[in-house]
Amino acid sequence: MNRKALAAIGAAAALSLTLAACGSSSGDAPEDEATESGPVELSVAVWSMDQTPEFQALFDAFEAAYPDITIKPVDILADDYPEKVTTMLAGGDTTDVLTMKTLTDYSRYAGRGQLEDVTDLVTDYPDGKLAGTDGYDQDGKFFAVPYRQDFWVLYYNKTLFDAAGLDYPDHVTWDEYADLAQKLTGTDAAGQKVYGTYNHIWRSVTQAAAQAQNEGADLLSGDYGFLKDQYDLNVGLQKDGYALDYSTAKTQQVSYRTMFETQATAMMPMGTWYISGILQAKKDGKSTVEWGIAPMPQVDDVDQTTTFGGPTAFAVNKASKHKDAAKTFLAFAASLEGAKAISAIGVVPALQSDDVTAAYFALDGMPTDELSKEAFAPDDVALEIAPSDITADVDVILNEEHDLIMVGEKSVDQGIADMESRVKQDVLD
Amino acid sequence: MAITAAPPTAPTATSAGSGTTGRQSRRNTLIGISFILPNFLGFALLTLVPVVAAFGLAFMEWDSYNPAEFVGLDNFQKMFGNDTFWIALRNTLYYGIGHVPLTLLCSLGLALVLNRKLRGVRFFRTAAFFPYVTSMVAVAVVWNMLFNPTMGPVNQLLTTLGVANPPGWTSSTDWAMPAVIITSVWRDMGYYMILFLAGLQTIPVEYYEAARVDGANAWQRFWHITLPTLRPTTFLVLILLTVGSFKVFDLIVVMTDGGPGRATLVLSQLIYREGIAQGEFGYASAISLVLFVIVLLVTVLQFRLGERKDR
Repeated sequence: MNRKALAAIGAAAALSLTLAACGSSSGDAPEDEATESGPVELSVAVWSMDQTPEFQALFDAFEAAYPDITIKPVDILADDYPEKVTTMLAGGDTTDVLTMKTLTDYSRYAGRGQLEDVTDLVTDYPDGKLAGTDGYDQDGKFFAVPYRQDFWVLYYNKTLFDAAGLDYPDHVTWDEYADLAQKLTGTDAAGQKVYGTYNHIWRSVTQAAAQAQNEGADLLSGDYGFLKDQYDLNVGLQKDGYALDYSTAKTQQVSYRTMFETQATAMMPMGTWYISGILQAKKDGKSTVEWGIAPMPQVDDVDQTTTFGGPTAFAVNKASKHKDAAKTFLAFAASLEGAKAISAIGVVPALQSDDVTAAYFALDGMPTDELSKEAFAPDDVALEIAPSDITADVDVILNEEHDLIMVGEKSVDQGIADMESRVKQDVLD
Repeated sequence: MAITAAPPTAPTATSAGSGTTGRQSRRNTLIGISFILPNFLGFALLTLVPVVAAFGLAFMEWDSYNPAEFVGLDNFQKMFGNDTFWIALRNTLYYGIGHVPLTLLCSLGLALVLNRKLRGVRFFRTAAFFPYVTSMVAVAVVWNMLFNPTMGPVNQLLTTLGVANPPGWTSSTDWAMPAVIITSVWRDMGYYMILFLAGLQTIPVEYYEAARVDGANAWQRFWHITLPTLRPTTFLVLILLTVGSFKVFDLIVVMTDGGPGRATLVLSQLIYREGIAQGEFGYASAISLVLFVIVLLVTVLQFRLGERKDR
């Protein structure tokens, strides 16, 4: 009996030693990183690879250019990506390259000192103009290099516009857009309701648009009077039945892709990331929609197009054991070759050049009209929300109040007043 | 939970000398400990240490990467001055007050019905247990569809029954929590039904026979025999339900994500949001500590009340 007890203690002790050994390896930076020779396996944290084909396209192109480096993707569910990466880094994970899904996440990791300084890759940039680098500036230092730059455009269904005998939405104002939404609402041949437009449930549809197009507006300021017109517009559209109501979209988890691809809506403000999605859906025969893109509607009747969006970037984990190879990957992703690899599947690269744009519109299935090309070159792309140490807290409040306004629990004025008082009280104080 | 094992009693020495008794007793204690040890070590390493560490973190500021900084009671000061915390606490209590008694009643009712000799009773027992083995995500998504304010079957039924303005359920701040409670009761009652069924089957039939001879009707038999003999089971179910309802997380995250606004935000979700999502691990630990104290107090209170009734 005693022997068994001893064996049990021994086993438990062995177990605890193993666990202790696991724990102690975390946190420390690797000692040797300079010497890298022979084949390297580079791990890259990405999200939902099967729905985000750009990653595979980029990896294939990179491996072809650098045969002695192989990429090992670390695939993470898109919805849980920031939380998962936070937990990984807290546990001393050594995944070499981390994709920065949003600027807010980036400023958090960079602020904690979890990312390697890659300023030289951004400042000495050989291939031309790299868009969207401003958001990554942390007091003159850069800890990530953008490789794609998305911005919002107005998608529209050409067939539905033609059937209604309306002109395509060429540089329209928000009022004209609401007018079009009214005229385009109706029923299709099968008796299914067709909405004039579709606003997805994200707060940026309303808030980032208003911030980008109103002088001096700032979503971090605690003053939100500038949101009123845009909210009145979008609440009005759903109240009149010209847009699918928010409650239904939210409780039914309506996919914006389905709305547009099944031709249940004639217009839809959405980011350029969706272009690759439509191209794929049409290629697979899942949709027959005849589509085009137009510049985002504007507050005033001007020729200038101001829209909003955000870059996506790669960063090097400070705990990486292959920092040189990782930096090579970052440089490649931002280069002309990297840009070509992702634009070939309809993704908008951060690198801006006429070559890339020309190649982009030469893609099979891309609309080739002038309006679409104009939509693709907006005059100004504002950040959806500025990255800062209060962004995450403000974001939560803005989301909650947006929710209440859109489901009709609060009037627009009440919602805006509550945003102001909560942000001032809980965050700015 | 504070379940204390009875210390191994020393065997009464009949023939051996007094020295042997002491050794025997120590030996038995060691054997006893050795039985608990593997489990206890696992518990200590993987649960106790992290829990104690989390309590320490409640007094620090920590971003999960850089060294933690001691900040005293700052986290608690922030918490008690923040209305989101109070809303989450109120919602958690609201959920518990709705979920615990309703699930208790429904599962007891189900168990009583399915304890009879009915045709197809096995089928019905399985059917009642089925929601519990179904994935929580699937449950939440399907119930969300059922609760759709305009196209959902629930409101269509209510409209045919003559309700002029059926509730907006998950898109209304007043009805989102009832919707979540209904879903959770539906999901959990099968599980607790099994516990009650097991309890019911330990009641000797003789009691009922004797009561019948004395002329007791069905209600009297239930009130004077079934309920008192079931008390240990009821107590267990109550404790499990209470602790479970304070910890509710998955259902709310999938079904409403705390919305609309903050109408269904509960404490465990706030802890996750502040800690894992926002990276304020110290603050999140402080909220966890408060949640722990609340659960502890409620459980101790329930034990006290249970003991008093047993006497």
